[in-house]
Amino acid sequence: MVTGLRGHKAVIAKLGFDAHWRGVIIIANALRDAGMEVVYLGHASAEDIAAAVVQEDAILLGLSTLSGNHLGECPSVMEQLRAAGADDVVVVLGGTVPAADVPVLEEYGVTAVFPTGSSVPELLARIEKLVTEQDVARQRAG
Amino acid sequence: MSSTDGSNAERTTASGLPLPVFGAAEDVGPEAATEAPGSFPYTRGIRAEMYRTRPWTMRQLAGFGRASDTNARYRSLLAAGATGVNGVFDYPSLRAFDSDHPLARSDVGRGGVAVDVREDFDDLFAGIPLDQISVSLVSSQPIGAVVHLAMFVQAAQRRGISTTALSGTSQNDFLMETAITIAPQALPPEGSFQLECDLIEYAVTELPRWNPVSISGYNYREAGADAVLESALTMTHAQAVAHEMIRRGHAPEAFLSRISFFLNAHSDFFEEIAKFRAIRRAWAKWVRDDLGVDHEPSQRFRFHVQTSGVSNTARHAHVNIARSMTQGLSAVLGGTQSLHINGFDEAVSIPSEHAAMTALRSQYVLLHETGVAKSADPLGGSYLVEHLTDVMEERVQEVVAQIDTMGGVVPATERGWVHAELSRLSFETQKAIDDQEQLIVGVNTMNDGEDVPVEIFRLPTDTLTKQSARLAEVRSRRDSRAAAAAVEEVGQAALAKVNVMPAVQRAVQQDATLGELGTVLRTSFGLWDFPLW
Repeated sequence: MVTGLRGHKAVIAKLGFDAHWRGVIIIANALRDAGMEVVYLGHASAEDIAAAVVQEDAILLGLSTLSGNHLGECPSVMEQLRAAGADDVVVVLGGTVPAADVPVLEEYGVTAVFPTGSSVPELLARIEKLVTEQDVARQRAG
Repeated sequence: MSSTDGSNAERTTASGLPLPVFGAAEDVGPEAATEAPGSFPYTRGIRAEMYRTRPWTMRQLAGFGRASDTNARYRSLLAAGATGVNGVFDYPSLRAFDSDHPLARSDVGRGGVAVDVREDFDDLFAGIPLDQISVSLVSSQPIGAVVHLAMFVQAAQRRGISTTALSGTSQNDFLMETAITIAPQALPPEGSFQLECDLIEYAVTELPRWNPVSISGYNYREAGADAVLESALTMTHAQAVAHEMIRRGHAPEAFLSRISFFLNAHSDFFEEIAKFRAIRRAWAKWVRDDLGVDHEPSQRFRFHVQTSGVSNTARHAHVNIARSMTQGLSAVLGGTQSLHINGFDEAVSIPSEHAAMTALRSQYVLLHETGVAKSADPLGGSYLVEHLTDVMEERVQEVVAQIDTMGGVVPATERGWVHAELSRLSFETQKAIDDQEQLIVGVNTMNDGEDVPVEIFRLPTDTLTKQSARLAEVRSRRDSRAAAAAVEEVGQAALAKVNVMPAVQRAVQQDATLGELGTVLRTSFGLWDFPLW
């Protein structure tokens, strides 16, 4: 049972024009069931995503896309997060992502990638670990 | 021993229909013994001889990059034996945004072909005999579909092909715009449905061989519906179209036979076959008994099937060939009129040419090698299949009645019921997978061993640049004032609830772009927030 996510806040968004919502809503529900406060933006521009992260003081940003637009959209989101001073948020991406693209996304600053077929309990455990570590780091930074 | 005794009495199908240990004569209603294919209520197929005299249409979905890239794929599929074209558009084109819109840039040419102006339709169908090959335009969302069809018709006219010779289908499904896919700036259900019916009305009077709507169960299933909800949404949507067309003054006999359907072939083999048979029967009965229409072509439920994309796995992707083959077999045993078998790389990328050709050749294995096409409805009379058909029909009718109490499928969508059901069912499915109640090879069972990755199909990289250049060129050479006035007329027609199709045709003639027409329709109808969260 995942308990370390309770009381933390997540912002969730769809990238570009990708239209598939099944995965993102499953994950949003799973995070909420694990005790997170979830703000679901739907489709949003990179600027609006960064603004929401700042406004909500989120510790987790979940991005979703199954259309293959991740290499085009993720760099803009990361750039806007840096510009807004919110790049200490944990950024995870879920969807149809070829394995070869994962190192590229990590280089952009995406912390974890969950391809289609990921197990939800494993995903929650991984996110719990990332969020807990980031929470500690934030508290140290004061 | 009765068929429900024994330790396995608890087993159900994927959608929760109880399964006997074995089918028995007492599980089957009396009609099964006397029904014949090609006769009311068409449980056993819409034609007496089925594939013996007319094989299903082999229609492999294709679309990526620019129109010229996709045209090359169409030609190679046709050369390899495809008997229809199935064209899919990228997200900005489905949603009626131009390729150079700021939100569109990372999705141009992805998941479908990019189209912006009428010349794109010239390129898309260059060299393809549009008076001989039927073309399915997977213009899923009415806002895009009305413009795509106008551009398609004009491309044919410029080649001297009569509009009366054009055969094919527009998907044109308001639920795709409002419940199944999400996108920025969606139309409200009522507005999207109005456009859908405008296209249907236009085609019924102007394009005698065109199916102006393909009522989609497929996509609801992919979004999370089970077989029962898939069928119930399909039924209630078609019923809403029928009522609206009658309200607009059209005789049912004039349009019912032009409605086509699009269903999913998922993994639970016998349940899927039962689903195809049950919905065909339920539709025929509704047309005859509720609408009072005796015209036989109006009672025949004609459908296309695509195998399930969501059932395919990224890991051990070649195993998807086996999955899709059994799903395709269920569609043929269920009496489909046309079929797309998914490429084995579906969970990883859009299909490579190799994956698309393998899928097409798999269809020919079904037709030429298995022998299943030689007799109509080969499973008719199977105790299990007949029983499941009966139970499926009952379950579907229960959900249809539930949707009716909400005032039909349009209000049910407006109030978020469709979204909530899809969300609930997809969450339950995910939980069943995570808890290993539902086993998927390569995901939660049999997932040891080295994966043999499939080659990723990489899209052309110049689509956005070239589409943007074409848009700039068209905008600079056209009569801008005439184009703007024609676009404005489309907005006025939508506001006045006058059929928009004639105005859309005139605007396309003036080189209005897809995005300009989308913008004016969004302005007229207003926008809608998805009741998803």
